[in-house]
Amino acid sequence: MHNEWVNYINATVPTANAVLVQPQGTTDAAGVTTPGCGVSWITVASEEVKAVCQALKQGEHQFTTLQAITGVDYPADGQIEMTYVLASMSKNSELLLKTRVARGDGVKLSKLPSVVSVWSAANFQERECYDMFGVVFYGHPDLRRILCPDDWVGYPLRKDYVVQETYRDMVVNPSKKMNIPEREFGAKHAHIAGATTSVENYSVPAPVKE
Amino acid sequence: MQEKHYKEEKLKTELLTVSMGPQHPATHGVLRVEIKTDSEIVAEATPHLGYLHRCMEKHSENLDYRAVIPFTDRLDYLAAMNMELTYVMAVEKMLKTEIPVRAEYIRVIVSELQRIASHLLFFGTYAIDLGAFSPFLYVFQEREFILRIFEELSGARLLYNYIWIGGVWNDITDDQIKRIGTFCDTLDENLKKYHTLVGENKIFISRTADVGIINKDVAFDYGATGPILRGSGVNWDLRKNRPYGLYPKLSFNIPVGTGEKGKVGDCWDRYRVRVLEMHESIKIIKQCLAGIEAGPIMGKVPKIIKVPKGEIYMRTECARGELGYHLVSDGGKKPYRLKVKSSCFTHVSMLPAIAPGMMIADLVATIGSIDIVLGEIDR
Repeated sequence: MHNEWVNYINATVPTANAVLVQPQGTTDAAGVTTPGCGVSWITVASEEVKAVCQALKQGEHQFTTLQAITGVDYPADGQIEMTYVLASMSKNSELLLKTRVARGDGVKLSKLPSVVSVWSAANFQERECYDMFGVVFYGHPDLRRILCPDDWVGYPLRKDYVVQETYRDMVVNPSKKMNIPEREFGAKHAHIAGATTSVENYSVPAPVKE
Repeated sequence: MQEKHYKEEKLKTELLTVSMGPQHPATHGVLRVEIKTDSEIVAEATPHLGYLHRCMEKHSENLDYRAVIPFTDRLDYLAAMNMELTYVMAVEKMLKTEIPVRAEYIRVIVSELQRIASHLLFFGTYAIDLGAFSPFLYVFQEREFILRIFEELSGARLLYNYIWIGGVWNDITDDQIKRIGTFCDTLDENLKKYHTLVGENKIFISRTADVGIINKDVAFDYGATGPILRGSGVNWDLRKNRPYGLYPKLSFNIPVGTGEKGKVGDCWDRYRVRVLEMHESIKIIKQCLAGIEAGPIMGKVPKIIKVPKGEIYMRTECARGELGYHLVSDGGKKPYRLKVKSSCFTHVSMLPAIAPGMMIADLVATIGSIDIVLGEIDR
C-alpha cells in the first residue's frame, strides 16, 4: 500500500521527493540488535507538503480526513519532524506523512506551508504545533498560541525547554526551587529506572528567606 | 407627526462581544467561547482553550511506560477506561504482547460500561442544559451502579489505572458478572423510558431538532468522529471498520442519524445516536458476559518495559469519538514523544463554522450536543 502511495506522490508532485521509511532496528554498545517495530511512513520535502496533501485528498487515494498534525523534536539532528496523520474512510487506510524542518534557536522559526485550505481540521492542529514547537505555518488564517497564553515564552515540547521564571509578575518557576540543573524537570530520572534511588534529590528544599 | 430628533442613517449598530465561559455551566468545564452577537443572534464564535492545560504530553516524556497510564485517565475523566485502553494497546502493539482471552473480555466489558456511563452523563447534563433537571437524577442512579462496579474492580470511581500493559489489574468475579447482567437488563428497559421522557418531549424536540446542523461535508472537513460523524449520517465506527481487540467476534449495529425529527445532523440526531449506542453497548456487554472464559488476566510482560525503536499511531473508538495516540519510541524506557489526538479538540474547532447565524440559546444546545470534556481538549 505504501509503495503505491509513494509512486503516486512522486508522479503527481515531482519535486516532493517522497521516500518510504520502514521501521529500523537499533544496535546498542554491546552489539545486540533489536528489530524496530510499529508502522511505516512516507517522508516528503517540506516545501511541497501542501501540494502533496492536496493530491492525496483529491486523487484516487481519497484521504478525506486529517486526523492530526504533530511534531517531534530531534535536537541531535537539529530538526523538528512534523507528522501529518491522514485517514481515508472510503478506502479504510491510514498514512503517516512526515517532513522535517530545521529547529533553529527558538527565535528565528522555521516555516511550513499551511494545509488549512485543504482540510479545515488543520486550523487548530497547526496552532497547537506552533504553540508547542515553534514552527510557523504560512498561509494560516489565524496563527496564535492555543493552549498556552498568548504572551508565553518558549515552545514547551522542545526537548531543551525550560519554564520561564516569571509570567506577568507571578513566579511560575522559582529559580531557587526548580531550575537547579539536577532538579530541573525531567533532568534526572534515576528514581524511575528503579536503580539507585537518591532521595535527597527529590526532597523539598527549605523555604528561602528573601 | 412628531419630528424625529435623530437621523436614522446616522444611527450605527455594532456587534456586542460576550464571553461565554470559562465559568459558564453549559460549557461543561472551562471552555471560553468569545461570541460576537447581533442582539440574540451569534455572528461569530471563537473558542479559547487552555484553561485546563496540564502539560500531559510533556510529563509523559519523563515517565516510564507504566507510569503514563494514570495520566491518560485524567484526559477524559468521564471515560477514563477508554483512554487507558487506547494507550495500553499502542504500547502492546509495539511490544507485540499477547493478551489473555479473559483480559480481552474484561477490557471490552469495562470499556463498554464506561461508554454507557459517559453517554448517561451526557444524557443528564444535556437535559440540564435545555432546562430539564429531573432526567439528570434518573441517569445518575444508573451511572452510580457502573461507578460502584468500577470501584470494586479498581478501587477508584473515576480515575482507575485498571487496564495495564499486558492485561488488566484485577479479576472480575462471577458475582459481579451476574450483577452486570441484571443491570444491563434493567437499563435496557429504563433507557426506553428515559428516551420517551426526554427525547420525545415536545420542548426538547423544539430545542434540538433543526438546531446546530452539521452536514457531512463539514464533518469530513473538520475531521469529526464518533457520535458527531454518525449523527451526520455517516456509517463509520472503528469498532466495525477497523476492528481491534474482541470486536470482530461480537455482533452489534452502528446507529446513524436519520433526521427523524428535523434535518440529518442536528442536535436531536446526535442525542439519538448516543441513546441507541447505549443499547448497542448493552448488547455487546451481554455477549461478553456469556462468552467470558476462565484463565489468566495478565500476559507476559518484562519487568522493565523497553519499547523497541519505532512509531505507531493507534486509534480506537471512545465515547466521544476517535482517540489517537502517536507514540514515538527511541528504544528507551520512556516514550520519546506521546501525542494525544483528542476528538473533542477537533469537535470544538467546528464551532466557528457552525455557530454563526444561530441564537445564543441554540449555541448552548449545540455545545451540549457535541459533548466536550475539557480535560481531553486541553490535555
